[in-house]
Amino acid sequence: MASVTLNHIKKVYDNKVTAVHDFCLEIKDKEFVVFVGPSGCGKSTTLRMVAGLEDISGGELYIGDRLVNDVEPKDRDIAMVFQNYALYPHITVYENLAFPLRLRKMNNEEIHRRVCEAAEILGITEYLGRKPKALSGGQRQRVAIGRAIVRDPAVFLMDEPLSNLDAKLRNQMRAEIILLRKRVDTTFIYVTHDQTEAMTLGDRIVIMKDGWVQQVGTPQEVFDTPVNLFVAGFIGSPQMNFLKARLLKGEGDADYCVDVLGVKIPLDADQCAVLAQKGAQSQEITLGVRPEHTTVLFDGAQDPAAIPCTISVNEMMGSELHLHMRSANNDNLIVRVPTVNLTPEQRASLSDGSTLYITFPAKVMHLFDPTSEKSLIYGD
Amino acid sequence: MSEYEIREIMQTADAADTYAKDGSEKPVFRHSKKRHERRTLTGLHLVLVIMSIVWLVPFFFLICQSGRSFVLEGGGMVNYVMPRQGFSLDNYKGLFIKNFNVQNYMGTSLKIEDFTQSVAETDIFSEAEQAKVAVIRDYWENHSRKDRLKTTDKLSDQMKKDFDAGKLSAEQAEAYQAVFTGEEGRAFMKRVYSGILDEHFTRDFRSDFLPWWGVTFLIALSAAALFTLCLYLLRLLLRARDITGPAKWFSVLGIALAVFFAFLIAVFAFKGFSIPNVEMLVRTVMALLLLVFFGFVAASAFLKEDSRLLRSIPGYPAQGPGTEIKRILAFFGEMALLFVILVCMLVPLKSSNFVAWYGNTLTIALFVAVIQTVIVLSVSYALSRIRFKGRKLLMNIVLVLGMFPGFLTMIVLYFLLKQVGLTQSGAVPGLILIYCASSGMGYYISKGFFDTIPKSLDESARIDGATRLQVFMKIIMPLAKPIVIYTILMAFMAPWGDFVFASYVAFQSEPNYNVAVGLYQWIKQNDKQNYFTLFCAGGVLVAVPITALFLALQKYYVEGVTGGAVKG
Repeated sequence: MASVTLNHIKKVYDNKVTAVHDFCLEIKDKEFVVFVGPSGCGKSTTLRMVAGLEDISGGELYIGDRLVNDVEPKDRDIAMVFQNYALYPHITVYENLAFPLRLRKMNNEEIHRRVCEAAEILGITEYLGRKPKALSGGQRQRVAIGRAIVRDPAVFLMDEPLSNLDAKLRNQMRAEIILLRKRVDTTFIYVTHDQTEAMTLGDRIVIMKDGWVQQVGTPQEVFDTPVNLFVAGFIGSPQMNFLKARLLKGEGDADYCVDVLGVKIPLDADQCAVLAQKGAQSQEITLGVRPEHTTVLFDGAQDPAAIPCTISVNEMMGSELHLHMRSANNDNLIVRVPTVNLTPEQRASLSDGSTLYITFPAKVMHLFDPTSEKSLIYGD
Repeated sequence: MSEYEIREIMQTADAADTYAKDGSEKPVFRHSKKRHERRTLTGLHLVLVIMSIVWLVPFFFLICQSGRSFVLEGGGMVNYVMPRQGFSLDNYKGLFIKNFNVQNYMGTSLKIEDFTQSVAETDIFSEAEQAKVAVIRDYWENHSRKDRLKTTDKLSDQMKKDFDAGKLSAEQAEAYQAVFTGEEGRAFMKRVYSGILDEHFTRDFRSDFLPWWGVTFLIALSAAALFTLCLYLLRLLLRARDITGPAKWFSVLGIALAVFFAFLIAVFAFKGFSIPNVEMLVRTVMALLLLVFFGFVAASAFLKEDSRLLRSIPGYPAQGPGTEIKRILAFFGEMALLFVILVCMLVPLKSSNFVAWYGNTLTIALFVAVIQTVIVLSVSYALSRIRFKGRKLLMNIVLVLGMFPGFLTMIVLYFLLKQVGLTQSGAVPGLILIYCASSGMGYYISKGFFDTIPKSLDESARIDGATRLQVFMKIIMPLAKPIVIYTILMAFMAPWGDFVFASYVAFQSEPNYNVAVGLYQWIKQNDKQNYFTLFCAGGVLVAVPITALFLALQKYYVEGVTGGAVKG
């Protein structure tokens, strides 16, 4: 049980490539933090620095109150689960689980008790006598997790543990990790490139890109109030739609309104207040709207707030349709249409190439500066 | 779940060889039906039993009876030792002299005791001749510096001096001229030599002629049984179902080659012998037995664990827990037995340095195998896993240095070793030093292997609490078994077969030769009849450890032990 503090952590490789710039984060005791980002964003590097597998080029790393920059991995009181399981193939599952304990010169009864307990938690008791070769991917991953939990570590590190599993198994293991977390209740740092995993598992999410931390927050926060275009696009599935638009000040009823393809949508009072406080002027913006918040109007020709779009691809997902649409500005959008209430006529009108009208309320709109890519409303 | 239950599960799982890939929890046993099948006595058993009895009779006969001195002291050794150690009657006992060319030994030193005794006791010399030799013996016994004049050469030199100085009496001068000078003296000495040889030849041959023929007959019988066994094995092999494809033909080829070589050696052995030479026969049959055995073991390596062929051999464990270890042990046991027999039978133990050579080579090779393996594996692991400054540069330098032939350093090394006294009598430690030096340069292959072991295993172990050394010993070493064995084999074989370094470091110090140099001394002799067979026997003995090592360890070459380490 320990907190982890990363104070201006930096990683520069020998070839002068900076993998992580100035990473600051305080992870509280028993918190589940997820590092998420696309490939090469530095999330694994950061995790490996916490583990002690990579040298820290700058900054300070504390586990609990202890400065561990130059502490060997084995003395950091951490456990780590690797993407490729990293099981020792020449010894049985039992010995795999017992390995870290044996290195700590624990007595045999204690080892046996702990191994059985961990095996019980993970449901791998019956495989204890097998070699890793004779296990399936899911079982191997359980053993890898088991090897970490027998240690009862202060910090639990997981480096993309589910990315080698197939989709179904991944969902199952994800649920099991949530359960596991309830049972072992310690500090977790979890690295993934899958935003769904990040959203479902994390107490807090750290979104990274190109070695820079983009945003830190609870899943709800990063979903609702993304501070920049990258976070907005990365979190949420299908990803947020971006439209070219214009912010207008002092036109119409509200202080600010947004002009999308000639349709003027007045902003909420809250949004206006923030914009006014920041002294926003009329400017070109990138308007972000999540597919979930977009409504399709089948008879929207008369509606003044409706935006006409052409369907380019129609994806049937079962409970809903994902319509890939194209606006008059050549912006691509995805709209989710629930299939449950569709009439046959409406279904017929959803064919490729036909034109529909979409609409969305002002409060779900995200306004981004197209050059700095920062949110005009959220963040500083 | 209790401890007992878990143990049980583990044991069950251990016993199972394979599992259904996924899903199915039930272990699948491969040979579940055959597991408790009783072994029955087959025809092969009988052949083997009869064979061993037939073989042991002449063997024990030879060892226990006069054959012992015959085998141990006779043969090619005579040609080798005699010119070097003085002309001694002891060397002739139990010898076939038929092919012995007296002319070759004219002028060889002859001990005066032997000379006088031989002339006095042999009936081919006339009384006048014996009287002359008696005069010479008197001269020798009365001579003031008698202990310097041990041989006839020196005696004749001394007499010549005295003769020239006119110190000899008329009787002595006459005897000297008749025995040591001119055509007359030459003819006399020739008769002395051949008299000695003929006497021992006829005596030994007469006394042992019949038993030797009996032995020859028995050996011929066992050789016939051996060929029967060969044919039986071949037939069995050709009909075996569990060995197919190229492996089968390799095995057949192995046995066929063994038979062929046996014949070849037999032909060599008989060539030029007008009288059946027991020793040659012994050697031939031993070589044949050994080669057939090698052929068979080579073939057995291709067989499956449960093969009928293996099960049919008594004492050769074919299945069950620990089979592999037992098989290796049994194999080593058999090899050791054969080895002892071979050493007794083939190598003239007395008066030959072969055992010393073998011991030297073994000492060097074992030390080098251990030291070099440790160095090579450590260097490879470090270069594979640890990133340090100059790593690339170091590897490149080593690569370039490795392109220079090692022989370039020969002269320098010799003088360096000489400075610290590690040449000639210190050749063994000197050679160990030479072979172990720069052994780290052979890191390429093992580094390549280490590179294929996922780094996350190291990292995982380090996080689990292992030090670098523990990671290396507990995780990497078991996984790198094939390359460890490869490294040991290579490190053992290089000094084992080395000639160049060994020949100059141990220059002219015969007890410190290694086998390669020693065998070369043998084959250098122009006497094919005796030395070539000795050389062949030595060659077989040199092949034994390497063959044994390779056969015992070859499965690790092909075994992929890293399976299951990572996704797959």
